[in-house]
Amino acid sequence: MLARGDRVVPAGVVATVATLVVVFYYPVGSVLVSAISAGGRLTVAPLVSVLGDPFYTGAAHSLVAAPTTVPNGIVRWAASGFPSVGFGLFGFTAYQALLSTAASVVVGLPGAYLLARFDFAGRRFVRSVTILPFVLPSIMVAVGFLAMFGASGVLNDLLAVVGVGPVRLTFTLEIIVLAHAFYNAPLVTRLVTAAWESVDAHRVETARTLGASPRRAFRDVTLPQLLPALLTAAVLTFVFTFMSFPIVLALGGLQLATVEVWLFAQVQNLDLTEAATLGAIETALSLGLIYVYLRYETTQLQARSGGRGLDRTPLVDGWRSLVDPKRLGLLAYGGVVAVLFVGPLASLVVESVTTPEGQLTLEYYGFLLAQQSSAASGTVQPLPAIRNSLLFGAGALLLALPMGVVVSVVATRESRGSRVAEALLTAPLAVSGIVLGLGMLRTLVFGTEVFGHRLLVTGPVAIVAAHAVAAYPFVSRNLTPALGSIDDRLADAARLLGADRATVLTDIELPLVVPAFVAGAAFAFAISIGEFDSTVLLAEGVDSATMPVALERYIGNRSLGPDLGPATAMGTVLLAVTTVSFVVIDRVGGRWE
Amino acid sequence: MGPSHVTVDSLTVDFGGLTALGDVSLSIEAGEFFTLVGPSGCGKTTLLRSIAGLETPTTGGIRVAGEDVTGEPPEERNVGMVFQSYALFPHMSVRENVAYGLQFHEIAQADGERVDELLDLVDMAGLADREPAQLSGGQQQRVSLARALAPKPDVLLLDEPLSALDAKLRKRLRVRIKSIQQELGITTVYVTHDQSEALAISDRVAVMHDGSVEQIATPEAVYREPESQFVAEFVGDNNVFSGVVSDGRLDVGGATLPLPAESDHADGESLALAVRPEALSIEGDGPEDEEGSPTDCTELRATVETVEFLGDAYRVHCAWEGHAVVVKTESTEPPEGEAVLRFDADETRTF
Repeated sequence: MLARGDRVVPAGVVATVATLVVVFYYPVGSVLVSAISAGGRLTVAPLVSVLGDPFYTGAAHSLVAAPTTVPNGIVRWAASGFPSVGFGLFGFTAYQALLSTAASVVVGLPGAYLLARFDFAGRRFVRSVTILPFVLPSIMVAVGFLAMFGASGVLNDLLAVVGVGPVRLTFTLEIIVLAHAFYNAPLVTRLVTAAWESVDAHRVETARTLGASPRRAFRDVTLPQLLPALLTAAVLTFVFTFMSFPIVLALGGLQLATVEVWLFAQVQNLDLTEAATLGAIETALSLGLIYVYLRYETTQLQARSGGRGLDRTPLVDGWRSLVDPKRLGLLAYGGVVAVLFVGPLASLVVESVTTPEGQLTLEYYGFLLAQQSSAASGTVQPLPAIRNSLLFGAGALLLALPMGVVVSVVATRESRGSRVAEALLTAPLAVSGIVLGLGMLRTLVFGTEVFGHRLLVTGPVAIVAAHAVAAYPFVSRNLTPALGSIDDRLADAARLLGADRATVLTDIELPLVVPAFVAGAAFAFAISIGEFDSTVLLAEGVDSATMPVALERYIGNRSLGPDLGPATAMGTVLLAVTTVSFVVIDRVGGRWE
Repeated sequence: MGPSHVTVDSLTVDFGGLTALGDVSLSIEAGEFFTLVGPSGCGKTTLLRSIAGLETPTTGGIRVAGEDVTGEPPEERNVGMVFQSYALFPHMSVRENVAYGLQFHEIAQADGERVDELLDLVDMAGLADREPAQLSGGQQQRVSLARALAPKPDVLLLDEPLSALDAKLRKRLRVRIKSIQQELGITTVYVTHDQSEALAISDRVAVMHDGSVEQIATPEAVYREPESQFVAEFVGDNNVFSGVVSDGRLDVGGATLPLPAESDHADGESLALAVRPEALSIEGDGPEDEEGSPTDCTELRATVETVEFLGDAYRVHCAWEGHAVVVKTESTEPPEGEAVLRFDADETRTF
């Protein structure tokens, strides 16, 4: 390899790793350690007390609490005719994650087929917006789902028009699973579409000329390339929905609590040890799953063929083509998708300006203004929440952008860098915001002794750090492919013409990745604006509350106002701010070119 | 021999246990068009990139224009390079690409003037404001050449600059590169895997194989007097017969062939004998010549298997005693069926 003369990259690596250690690895590590220690001594007591508690693990608790009774227990269970058994909080969490994963695959897979094999107006647009749900504030989406499927939501209003009685979906597993599908079906679509588009048409054609039917060629050539992508999406969806927090909190409450929601409740009850143990178990489960998956993925890596992609047929080619049941099915699917994805967001806006009786009103926005002017302490004021969100977003960007750039440069330049970078980028995804927030509370916010100095990071700084940790992988994931696709010869050519390493970066490499850099910044900003999990723990009192935190307070505290109105108004404001920031960053970025 | 302008001294380049270049030494004269040629993986590109400073040698040294540049980064070496992929900066116009290197170099000429001069030289003046993406492959190649030459480098390095182009354009551009090189008198190191390209444009050629240099000579000498069996087989076509020396002849299994007169080989020695296709003549197997064949020629009775028409000649593939023999003939009508092949033993090479 080249002897690189510059010191910029090594210095950046040191700074990034140091930042991650302080604001991520150390706090999260402290949570993990507290699950296996008490009073400075190593012990499994906290783990045993959680895993041996039937509330958490149900029928499996005796595996830990009283292992000797297990064989007898199984015999008795069999003797009484295999009655259904529960597996406690962990069992329920896994069950809802499994249902959510299945729903995401069912909703997402036809989308991949549609996008990969058919051509229609707006195909590229749809393909690119599949990334968007991922960065929408989840508490806002939860309010959208309430606005659509709630007791006085848009769905029931529409049903009432045709004379069908109201349906109750709030605080049901169904609405949680549906909201999880809103988030993760696009992920399934995106990953499988990408795999489908990378299938070499020449291989399929070769199979056909060798005598395979279209069905057989699909099974033998195309399917083996789709399955790893589908599995990736399913594993990620399972991990995300296992750890899902705001959706379950807002749509299920404590009745349908998952590990994450219960963990949050424990933190609020100041039972930090039990919370840390729960967080440690949860993190170990998700890290383990992702590790097993990454091991599997390395065995599945296929050489990307440079061949031609599969042809796409027009979805609609005159009225006659619509008689095809396949096309009719896809059009019906398009309708369902529109309802599922556009419905909640549209309902959010609609409900924010209509009364339960269906009249237009600005009452809820008026309520927000009144809330703003009221001097009452202890309540979240809308304008400071908006200001906080924007400030924290800008702060998180300042931290996340350099971190993301450093990780991308390492991933593309160093031979072993991509594996290290992958591990660095995956870890924040596998650790829930609640666990990170809890870890930061225990270490940085409450203070840590370092060489006789008390290290204390509080309020806004801790929030910005937590947002940056959640956001920098998005910077990197946008930037790494762009940097990697730059021909190495460009840098070589510039150096031979006299440019040193740093000049090559500023003259050649960065100008070529500006669009990816801006996209990464937009995502990072959106992630920060929508971050709820760690913010709700780290926002002390009401002074550092952000828009998502304010939103949750408005749903949670019905005494504040009539029905869901104020929450939908606040949600609409959040939607507007998120959209505007996204567009602004995009436009500003466009001008940099 | 003129003064050495580029000197490579016992250069070895290892890539994690794999030796890409093993103890290579060579010296290139000022103003010379010097070509590194060999099959892929022979180390020719590694050698070129080492001269550029893009690979770090494990041992050995490199001198350019009298200066030891071995440890210097590429930007300190004042060498110009043209890549196979052209490596034009996609976010800069043709003019900006050519001008890019000038900001780092002091030359006795205004930048704009220098850029115009170079664009004229490669006939790209009319397209100065185009983006690289709007250019054809041949045009991009010419811009890349102008960009490399603009800062007046001490040496010009060309890494397979024509291999991405189609055959006709390739032949036209290699003549253009040669004439620009002669016009500027710039020392040039050219890398190619195409031996006919190497023969066509070089002052001298280094034939490389498995990380080392097999032979350095003029194109004529490399073709006519190859010093190893590898060179004989890689440069041009050759019929190579392997066998054992027996009574002053080469026993190739079932038949014997004569050896060149001045060769002196002991019985039992393993040897390879190379005969160029054009050194063989071919004739239909008519009635026996009453006077017998000329004494200084060897006759092989062979069977014609396939005939290739080349435009100005034929290439005739024959079978003789279980060996494939290729003959190149300009006769208007090559024979079919049985044929007689003749060659002068003194026009063969042994290894």
